[in-house]
Amino acid sequence: MKIKKNLLFICLFVVILLFTATSSARVTPTYAIVNCKIIPVTGSPIEKGIIIIRDGLIESLGPQGKISIPEDAEIIKAEGLFAYPGLIDAHTNLFLELPKEEPRRPGTRRTSAAEPRQKEKAQHPDLMAIKFLKPKKTAVADLHKIGITTVLVVPGRGIYSGQSVLLNVNGNKAAPMVIKTPVALHVNFTTARGTYPSSLMGTMAFLRQSFLDTEHYSSYKSQFAKSSRGLKRPEYNPFLEALSPYVVKKNPVFFNCANLEDIKRALGLIKEFKLNGFLTGSNEAWRVADLLIKNAKVPLLVSLNFKPPMTSIYVNQGEELKKKAEEEIYPANAANLHKKRLMFALTSQGLKKPSDIPKNVQKAIKAGLPKEEALKAMTIIPAKFLGVSSFLGSLEPGKIANIILTSGEIFDEKTRVERVFVDGISFEIKKPPKGEKPTKVNIAGKWSATVSSPMGELETILELEQDGNEISGSISSNMGKWEIIEGILSGNELALSIEATIMGETMDMTFSGTAENDSIEGTMAVMEWSMELKAKRIPEGEF
Amino acid sequence: MKKKTIGFILVVSLVIFSSFSFGQDLLIKNGTILTVTKGKILKGDILIIKGIIKQIEENIKGPKGIKIIDASGKFVIPGIIDSHTHIALSGTNENAEAITAEVKMRDVLNAEDRSIYTAISGGVTMVHTMHGSSNPIGGENIVIKTKWGKTSEEMIVHDAYRTLKFALGENPKRSNSPTLGTPRYPQSRMGVNAIIRREFLKAKNYMEQWDRYLKAKNSKKPAKNLIAPRKDLRMEQLADVLRGKMVARCHTYRADETLEFIKLSKEFGFKIACFEHASEAFKIARELAEEKIGISVFLDSWAYKVEASEGIAYSAGYCTKKGVLVSINSDSGERIRRLFNDAAKAMKYGGLSEEEALNLVTINPAIQLGVEKIAGSLEVGKHGDIAIFNEHPLSAYTLCEMTIIEGEVYFDRAQYLKEREEMEKKKKKEEKKKEKKGGTK
Repeated sequence: MKIKKNLLFICLFVVILLFTATSSARVTPTYAIVNCKIIPVTGSPIEKGIIIIRDGLIESLGPQGKISIPEDAEIIKAEGLFAYPGLIDAHTNLFLELPKEEPRRPGTRRTSAAEPRQKEKAQHPDLMAIKFLKPKKTAVADLHKIGITTVLVVPGRGIYSGQSVLLNVNGNKAAPMVIKTPVALHVNFTTARGTYPSSLMGTMAFLRQSFLDTEHYSSYKSQFAKSSRGLKRPEYNPFLEALSPYVVKKNPVFFNCANLEDIKRALGLIKEFKLNGFLTGSNEAWRVADLLIKNAKVPLLVSLNFKPPMTSIYVNQGEELKKKAEEEIYPANAANLHKKRLMFALTSQGLKKPSDIPKNVQKAIKAGLPKEEALKAMTIIPAKFLGVSSFLGSLEPGKIANIILTSGEIFDEKTRVERVFVDGISFEIKKPPKGEKPTKVNIAGKWSATVSSPMGELETILELEQDGNEISGSISSNMGKWEIIEGILSGNELALSIEATIMGETMDMTFSGTAENDSIEGTMAVMEWSMELKAKRIPEGEF
Repeated sequence: MKKKTIGFILVVSLVIFSSFSFGQDLLIKNGTILTVTKGKILKGDILIIKGIIKQIEENIKGPKGIKIIDASGKFVIPGIIDSHTHIALSGTNENAEAITAEVKMRDVLNAEDRSIYTAISGGVTMVHTMHGSSNPIGGENIVIKTKWGKTSEEMIVHDAYRTLKFALGENPKRSNSPTLGTPRYPQSRMGVNAIIRREFLKAKNYMEQWDRYLKAKNSKKPAKNLIAPRKDLRMEQLADVLRGKMVARCHTYRADETLEFIKLSKEFGFKIACFEHASEAFKIARELAEEKIGISVFLDSWAYKVEASEGIAYSAGYCTKKGVLVSINSDSGERIRRLFNDAAKAMKYGGLSEEEALNLVTINPAIQLGVEKIAGSLEVGKHGDIAIFNEHPLSAYTLCEMTIIEGEVYFDRAQYLKEREEMEKKKKKEEKKKEKKGGTK
């Protein structure tokens, strides 16, 4: 009986899907953003300006009076707002869902005379980030909220962790976001855990040997292509194939540098094998600034993670010094690099959540990094490093319309991002509801909820977390687990917005109702359909 | 509490030292100088210019403005050299495989390892920091000076031998690591010997392959489709050992396996610079002396595992008298600060003279590392690497007061104690302040 009800439920959603399918085609209207202060980054600011967006590009921009507003443009009044180019985060692992690594079977350690090395299996330079993208609406919203419109998604596991993809965060579908793939090969000074190389020294030898092998493989192949007579056919090797574009054709190789010695290791390898190397992580970069000046051609992508590495002189010497390092010494990395006139991009590498990015940029600014340098380090500089500055990284006619409108100067503590345009698509940032009443109700915990629709009942489990008025969590049923994107509890009025995925399609659902400590009641709405929801708390320990 | 203060001082000294450049001028006055190779000067001076010893005499007048250290009543000796340790490294073993000649300690130097500071507090100025003993053939070791606060590159001693670590006995066959899971070949002493021989045979093949290729390439009519062989970093290292560009340093305990390894070296024609630990060396002292192979040992540690059961404290003294080049090593980031104590024990056990005992931690390890032209004794032309002791370095009551490398003071006990005291005072004041504040609330 229950199964039938669920079937009916699915039917309901199929009907809904039919409705949404027709409206999902993407239209990018023409916009005129008027009356805003424009900070183009590459040019001088315009106090009262107009930006015209058409077909996803910046058609024109300039001071009021000099730019005519097209008739078909939707006017966006931006009095008192600032317009900046969308921020670029050149190192994130957001949106990625990599398959779980197989646990090491006992017995794989054996190295006998007959057994060849298994290094190829342990590493995956051929892993393409683009194949594992699962963009979530919440993650997209989190990025927009802090003004990030472009991200380099980097696979993060292994010595060769794979190849990255550059995305313009213009929605929640992967393919339309892709700007460039693959962008770079990513190298970490880590180990293969349990198999060779199991130590840092082994990893260095492994990297050198694999670069040498790639060179040899590639020259053999080209020799064979030139004149094959009398030459044994080269055996196809997917591992070396994946490395070839980077070792031989000199596409970008990103070295993740966890400490100052890693920076030296990376620079050594870049020099030895004449690689087109980039340094990432590098939160100890200021400590080897002179060396970096000598290697000024190597692009530097500095992480906003201020945690001192384990090898640092500032850790293992008592909590006090460690704390000081994290709060004062490491946040000054960028400022120190700037003082040495080094060019760098700022990235979120190693940060737990996107909201840490503005916080840490503020810390870097407080430690002496000029604001405009911080802005460059997240716009035009990463654009240049990634080879996309001809169409991204600043506000200029003809470039992609990645624009953010903010309530004040960017990176100021009180500044809010009000609206972002990505590829000319407008995303309004929801304001946190004002005048909300403080709540005495606590609804954190597990709930058993029944959703009744004209077509049947659906049993669900609510898992809620509460932080003051803010509610987060998920709703799960046999149709899957749906995330609560936003939730507000005002007095005992509960409003949730839910991202539901049904048969591979995502759609917005809302809930509004009342909540008490032990009961929640209200209405779920999706499109023009509505359903009643009643929930009872599951006492702790049950379930 | 104390630990934190030490931390602050270490950081402060690190920052101060990093602002200097290579080699300094220094005049050490009125010390009792134990030159090691040129006898004793009761009251003498040492002049160091740009890091190099220029003069050792009585009453030297240095250039104007030179920094002077008064060593009246103190003992001035060459910086102590540790022939075998594992400090200043990020990792010790690449133990996923049995043969890992391709790994290099050069790649994993960690200039911020606090053991470096521990080392200079015991007068150590140079160390041979090595791959561990988990593999029959480990990796390439490196000789560094303990220049606390300098970068890892500045620490490297380029004049030293290139050395490759070998290991025999229990460690490479892993009899002491039952928790490591599945067994790895080799599992026996014969296996260890066999796998090393096999690798050298491979290396010979590898070299021949390259020779054939180079010969063909350089011939008058090179074949059209000539392709270079694959470059194999593991084989390259072993080839360098066979070519004499690198010497072997071999971890061993038992006399039988030690002799087997000597045979192996003769079979392939490579040079063994030194045997490590060699707790049964006294049984084969004649052979070692004949082959001119040194040993680097603990003075009085033995029986800490089965293969060390026959060790004796008299071995270092006995072997020295039989003509073996003996050094005493720490193999540790802690024992490294009291190598002079270990050297002194060789006078009690083994009956060495004062001079012979001091040799064990100065000139002998210098010869073993191939750096005797720049270090190991106080002579004009050598590096100004010096330790100053308050009493004779072999006295049980002695303390290292100052450690100098290339004319630069890296450790100054008085200064360190002063700073530590000040830090602690400051801290107590702050704590009191906090308490007061807390009280008024």
